[in-house]
Amino acid sequence: MAAKKLRRAQLSQELCERLNRYQITTCQDFLCLSLLELMKVTGQNYYEVQKLLCKVSRACAPKMQTAYEMKLRKSANPSSSFLSTTLRSLDRVLYGGVPCGSLTEITSPPGCGKTQFCIMLSVLATLPVSMGGLDGAVIYIDTESAFSAERLIEIAGNKFPAYFDSDEKLFFMTRNVHLYRELTCCSVLNRIMSLEEEIISKNVKLIIIDSVASVVRKEFDTKLQGNLAERSNFLTRGASVLKYLAEEFSIPVILTNQITTSLSNGPVIQTDLVSPADDLSLSE
Amino acid sequence: MQREVGSLPLAPALRARLAAAGFQTAQELLETGPCGLSKELGISKEEALEALQVVRQECHGDTARTARGSGATRKFTALELLEEEQAQGFIITFCSALDNMLGGGVQLTKITEICGAPGVGKTQLCMQLAVDVQIPECFGGVAGEAVFIDTEGSFMVDRVVDIAAACVQHCQLIAEAQREEDHLKALETFSVESILSHIYYFRCRDYVELLAQVYLLPEFLSEHSKVRLVVIDGIAFPFRHDFEDLSLRTRLLNGLAQQLIITANDHKSAVVLTNQMTTRIGQSQSTLVPALGESWGHAATVRLIFHWDNSQRLATLYKSPSQKEATIPYDITPRGFRDVQPPAVAPSADGTERNPRKRPRREEEKQ
Repeated sequence: MAAKKLRRAQLSQELCERLNRYQITTCQDFLCLSLLELMKVTGQNYYEVQKLLCKVSRACAPKMQTAYEMKLRKSANPSSSFLSTTLRSLDRVLYGGVPCGSLTEITSPPGCGKTQFCIMLSVLATLPVSMGGLDGAVIYIDTESAFSAERLIEIAGNKFPAYFDSDEKLFFMTRNVHLYRELTCCSVLNRIMSLEEEIISKNVKLIIIDSVASVVRKEFDTKLQGNLAERSNFLTRGASVLKYLAEEFSIPVILTNQITTSLSNGPVIQTDLVSPADDLSLSE
Repeated sequence: MQREVGSLPLAPALRARLAAAGFQTAQELLETGPCGLSKELGISKEEALEALQVVRQECHGDTARTARGSGATRKFTALELLEEEQAQGFIITFCSALDNMLGGGVQLTKITEICGAPGVGKTQLCMQLAVDVQIPECFGGVAGEAVFIDTEGSFMVDRVVDIAAACVQHCQLIAEAQREEDHLKALETFSVESILSHIYYFRCRDYVELLAQVYLLPEFLSEHSKVRLVVIDGIAFPFRHDFEDLSLRTRLLNGLAQQLIITANDHKSAVVLTNQMTTRIGQSQSTLVPALGESWGHAATVRLIFHWDNSQRLATLYKSPSQKEATIPYDITPRGFRDVQPPAVAPSADGTERNPRKRPRREEEKQ
């Protein structure tokens, strides 16, 4: 929306050309200028500039919905708003399961079972809706090289022996789990940015990123100058794209995180001060 | 009438020509008339007429402003302001400790900022306020509608349904106890559906959409004149990434703050913003401070900081022009934002008052 060209905001052709000379081509450039600068750049008087501002704003402002419309839309399709985890007490506490359309973060010390949980959820997402699944593909972004395809098949075969009764069904399920191994922050971010098209082409119903913390902690040493800002920059960019994808396609997005120590009374080393790691930016 | 030509809101090129031709005051322009103006400046008659209309509008605006009471400068005596403030309502939060600390509740025509770490209850309070602003006047509310601008995507409709149901139930209990005519009449139109249909929701994905929405807000509020609350949930989130140019960010934020103050005053509505916390690393210790920098601290009139103390949520009134600084505990229950129930009161039916979605924080969990 921000990068929308002014031409499509229904400004006149000659005004667009004039603005082009000052290198103002998108709605973003236009809205970032103050009123005086706009008057100078468009050559119009104050009232005209205000009308232009409203026009450009209308081109990129979000659409209004009332909370009632949102509720109606949700209740029209109740089964598609959760992915049940098949752990009954967890589902009860989560009011149904992992919610679609928002980010869920799973955190624990090492060895507790985050990756296993993610692998199980991948199996569940590929199941048909009648069995509690989402009947779609899964995108699994693995940064720790911890994903094991054999484990995936083992879980599927043992948890649903009646459904996965033939090798063919198992291989069909595995073909629906798309694994991407990314080892740097930059490649993770690029992968997240490119997900939109993949989601549409492959009918993806679940995105898993395992784990965000490992790449971030490898590359950003918060003791060094400027790294804290760059780290939160990277995290918020990734988070906003993932939120957009989750909401736009109404699918669950699962992220795993690690635990760090919060030193309250000891000498202050510049560790992550709010545990779990990266909590401050990511789960907003 | 003696206004200088340079201060008129005309196009810059036109102003330059006027200055070159020797015009100094608006009076001279008006006396010349469109034909004379077009000959002297070398512009077309239509352009000259347009310029004169702008000048006339400005000059009339100047003289009429004090009478109309809106525009750049307004004059009031303190007595008039006092009467106006006393007649104004507050938006209650259903947590009496918080309402008392704020002097009655969230004030109309002021900007209130809520800062806090993730998970402490900022969005919960915003959703509670969006429901509470709609309470009918006979029950002590302001009977308004709410605009909810969401930048983080944390607005959960199901939660609002729970909060609205609890609010309607509360009002029904009052009506039953007091049995007055207007209470029952108001209850006919006060239901969960009507509450939900008067919350206008906008989802802004980045700061450009947020800026655009705030520019369009005055128009929207003129069309929906019953709006008494504008909530922007997450003013910090779109401004915290993708901003290499910090001076641009400061300028945009200041512009945003000014727009919101004007909107709050012109439409007699309360503006509530939520902000994140960031870490400030000092010489010997690090502290959590509200995000967006020192200059943003001037934007809000009232500032609340929500934080944890072991497993108790606390709200601190950090900045207020009329109330004393204080800290009070509050709770998030399945029915919404509430006071802390003292343990002697009867235990609730579902075991604990805590919202099952939130894990209680304990010291040992952090290690």
